[in-house]
Amino acid sequence: MNFWERITGSDMTKEMKSFESRAKKLPPDYQAAWEQINAYLWPHSDFTGRNLMPILDGVLGLLEETAADGQSVQEVLGDDIQGFCSALAGEEGAKSIRDKWREQLNQNIAKKLGK
Amino acid sequence: MLENLTEMLKGVLEGCVLEIISRNETYGYEITRRLNALGFTDVVEGTVYTILIRLEKNKLVQITKKPSDMGPPRKFFAINDEGREELRKFWEKWEFLSSKINELKETRP
Repeated sequence: MNFWERITGSDMTKEMKSFESRAKKLPPDYQAAWEQINAYLWPHSDFTGRNLMPILDGVLGLLEETAADGQSVQEVLGDDIQGFCSALAGEEGAKSIRDKWREQLNQNIAKKLGK
Repeated sequence: MLENLTEMLKGVLEGCVLEIISRNETYGYEITRRLNALGFTDVVEGTVYTILIRLEKNKLVQITKKPSDMGPPRKFFAINDEGREELRKFWEKWEFLSSKINELKETRP
């Protein structure tokens, strides 16, 4: 990643485009799951979303592998996509913007209390 | 599978996966099938996937990518020395836990 890419995020745009074209090749039920996973994961993004790129890449890999096996997406992910996503984000240690706000809030209160 | 076993299983599933990997180099699908055959029918590949990521992050396994007949290359997992040590600790903890819980059960009035 060079300076230009870091500032504009153009490297991510490129990556997202390649994710999209990979996702388009998946069966329809997989595509639907992919969209849901995306929706659940983005609240875990850091300011730029760069932390999510390797996670998304891995998940897409899993979907591609299992689709090629001929399994249904239900068989692969079960009915708890949300749980799956939080496990993913948690394992990668992806801190969300909300976590940062929480930290800030705690610090401010500690300061007010004179500690 | 018994209902609501998932929560209880969560804590030990990582050890189970590591045990399966320790016997033979294997991949996600095979591990899931193995667990299903054991009777854990609710375990899906997605669950195993998140565990494999954790094992990889904690450097307990070694990974090789191998081309498959269809679809993208498959990730194969093999245990390493740190993984073996972790597995030993896991079984130790399990022995302790199961003996204590059985003890509790047997002393029922």
